[in-house]
Amino acid sequence: MTIRELRILPPLAIARLGASDLPVDNYEVEVDTTDPLGYRRLRPAETFQIDDHSGEIKASYVPTVLRFMDNDKVRPVAPFLEVWALSGRGQLEPLTVEVLRSHRLSPADVKWRVHVANYKVYRRTGNLSDRLDAKVGPISDHRPRELSGKCPNFWSGKRLPLGWVRYIKPNTAFPAIRLRFTPAHGYVYGASKALPGRVGTRIDPNLKEVLYNANKGRWLGFVEAGDTTSTNPPFIYANNAVGDSFVSRGYMDDECDGIVWVELKVGRQLLSAYARIGAGPPAYAPDSFPVRSVADELDQAMFGPLVRQGDSSLAAVEEILRRAVETVRLMNTTVMNGNPVNGLVNSANTMASQDTGDTSRYFEPIMSTSIVDNHALITLHQSVLTALRAGSAPWFADLLRNYDEVGDLSSKGRRKMPALMRGADGRYLALTRRQVDLIRQVARLPILQGDPAIALTETKAHSRGKRK
Amino acid sequence: MLLHVAAEIEHSLMVEYLFSAYCFGGPQVPSSLRKAVRRWQEIILGVAKEEMGHLMTVQNVLTALGAPLNLNRENYPWDIGLYPFPFALERPTLDSIAKYVLAESAPTWSDPPAGEIKRRAGASAHAVVNHVGALYELIIAILGRPDLIADSAFQARTLPLQSSWDTWGRGYTQGQRGQESGNVPGALSPELIVLRVISRDSALFALRQVGEQGEGAGDPSPAVGEESHFRRFLTIWTEMRQLSAADQRLVSQPVAENPCTSRMADDGSDRYVQGKQTKNWIANPAALAWAHLFNLRYRMLLVNLIHSMRPVSPQRDATPVVDRGILINRTFAEMYNLRVIASTLVQLPLDAANPRGLRAGAPFEMPYTLDIPQRESDRWLLQRDLLQASRFTINDLRSQVSSSNGLRFLAALESSDQLAAQRVDAILSDRPVMTLDEDPR
Repeated sequence: MTIRELRILPPLAIARLGASDLPVDNYEVEVDTTDPLGYRRLRPAETFQIDDHSGEIKASYVPTVLRFMDNDKVRPVAPFLEVWALSGRGQLEPLTVEVLRSHRLSPADVKWRVHVANYKVYRRTGNLSDRLDAKVGPISDHRPRELSGKCPNFWSGKRLPLGWVRYIKPNTAFPAIRLRFTPAHGYVYGASKALPGRVGTRIDPNLKEVLYNANKGRWLGFVEAGDTTSTNPPFIYANNAVGDSFVSRGYMDDECDGIVWVELKVGRQLLSAYARIGAGPPAYAPDSFPVRSVADELDQAMFGPLVRQGDSSLAAVEEILRRAVETVRLMNTTVMNGNPVNGLVNSANTMASQDTGDTSRYFEPIMSTSIVDNHALITLHQSVLTALRAGSAPWFADLLRNYDEVGDLSSKGRRKMPALMRGADGRYLALTRRQVDLIRQVARLPILQGDPAIALTETKAHSRGKRK
Repeated sequence: MLLHVAAEIEHSLMVEYLFSAYCFGGPQVPSSLRKAVRRWQEIILGVAKEEMGHLMTVQNVLTALGAPLNLNRENYPWDIGLYPFPFALERPTLDSIAKYVLAESAPTWSDPPAGEIKRRAGASAHAVVNHVGALYELIIAILGRPDLIADSAFQARTLPLQSSWDTWGRGYTQGQRGQESGNVPGALSPELIVLRVISRDSALFALRQVGEQGEGAGDPSPAVGEESHFRRFLTIWTEMRQLSAADQRLVSQPVAENPCTSRMADDGSDRYVQGKQTKNWIANPAALAWAHLFNLRYRMLLVNLIHSMRPVSPQRDATPVVDRGILINRTFAEMYNLRVIASTLVQLPLDAANPRGLRAGAPFEMPYTLDIPQRESDRWLLQRDLLQASRFTINDLRSQVSSSNGLRFLAALESSDQLAAQRVDAILSDRPVMTLDEDPR
């Protein structure tokens, strides 16, 4: 084959933090057909075992049991990034040792670079010296490279570990060109040994280490203005409330995101590709998915807010509803609704309290306080799922919140679905426009989708002629 | 009695409209008519939802007056002259819809095509069709007179026991932007009226709202939002009237009228006439099994509804919170289940020996009783009994079902019932209500 272009797959990989040295094994998440309303089943999947010394894949196995913890430490999710070659025939094929050899190249000719960063502090202070960056590369060997985060406002010589990357050494059994990103441990770093906001010198138990020099930068004690330069919603950093101010504790985490590049000179042509990586917190409910996810955003960004008629399906709607059930299952709906807790009114940070805080709306729970019991709501959502599984078209499309209704504070507006949750813009969460359009399209179909087997009586020619 | 009749009428109309709506559609609908048929279906389903709001509002008036609740249908003699027409489950035709138009119309309505509609409605009902609005006018006239009903008869303290839009509305009401688009283009979202009653004025206001949503009052212009039931049915009738006779037959499945699960004819035939109505026994074993499940879930819906309206316990008479929410949400869950089963039934033949003949439909047969036990713990035992009955019925049905969708539904329904049974057991054992996934161990 002739290598025309390179690609890194997946183009976006999200790692999950964990302090264990042993990454979590692979698994597939499936709907359990024997328990269709219950938790998804996690099925162990093929997993690579890396030789720490050589950096090769020494074995591939399917674990018998899935473990997310290694003693008391969380096992991180450490994704592999694979290089694929676009051939002259327009086909994507894995870039392997053999393909390289056919171009008189070797794995050492592949060059990787990685740049990850954590700009959370800079995003708030606006000070360029608060940016935390880690860069490595070019890499052509197979030693692990630490992603050691540097920040101008750190104490001299201090680094924040953001994980590490390793160019996996291809071998006969596993000849593909890969890079593995292993994220950091999930620690909190700070700017003061003493617990911020407390009188005295009590050691802050949250911190792994003090890295930030509070004499140089102003992150410790920083107060966000809450104006148009602030995040929306504002004040979402570890803080101590002092009067009406939210005073930063000077904390930093070891999450990051960034870009991985790969380069290969084929003949006179320098080919390159890049992918995005990120590291987030562990998934503590791996058998559940949120009702709106990054995947939905990407879907909308790629394909637009409207679904082509042929692309809509009841199965896709069922999947959204399943995620809604799973989302409700993880919520304390009575508290999030704004119900009194132990007799206390407005006792938690909820959308009901945000409505009051943001707009001075009179405080009142969102739904009737009597219908938000968590089990009752799960049952209701499961019933919807039950009907959808029977092939029933969704009938609730008119109850969905539109993207331009997230600020509707009427009783009706606050009760639209999805309920009780906050979106990225600080107001009520709405499904993506594409998700809503999908549900609306399927809602227009006949109430019960034709099932040839159910209609014992259909004249065969007629029914088979019409249905596909 | 008048309020009891009003409640029964609302219940009857809701069921008749649901039956009619579920008959619409099917593979025989010409492609050029599919959008219109789906829209008509959605309009009638919306009206049925609004009838449920009327039913709840009338129950609230009964509660405020200290009267017993009533979820019966036609419990009084037909000749009292208040029921709009004899209860009948029929597929949508020009004749059956004419009945609905006329029942929801004002007594003075005489614009064309009133003549034809009255003729067709009379033929379909085999009787004079009465106006629902007239009953509400009568009730309003009586409730408005302090010399007949004292102010003290309206008990504001019953408010916590009454149903509200907050608990039953599911967001179906006019918002700040006016009435919203429904699920289907051309069909507006329903406007559920569930009003609570604390005084004479609030009772009169509630009943006027219910009456007006039926036949329309003031400015019924669609441009200002909600259309009356009368207008909506008239629109469907008018559009159907423009179709050829052949197309009129194709817009709905050929569903048997008044499908029933009991074979009652003396001569052993599957059809028999009761009064002036024909009842059709569901002779197809598979359809019959689905029909039994339908009746059981219909009963569960009514039991949940009644149970939700009763004080949860003498100690918590005033503010039932958690348990009531369970019952309300389970009532909605049963509505979704009935929707699936009804839609399944209209695809199945009434008689397996005649696969091209009439289809079965949702029987909507009333349970042998709507009484629920006096003690709260016994009410939950009844709930558990019903869930157990459903398990048996599903087991019987499963062997009759060959469709993958049907089997998927039954598996999910059984799973849902198991969770409900666990919850009922928890309530009966007086364990604290658990949220999230607390492990009792």
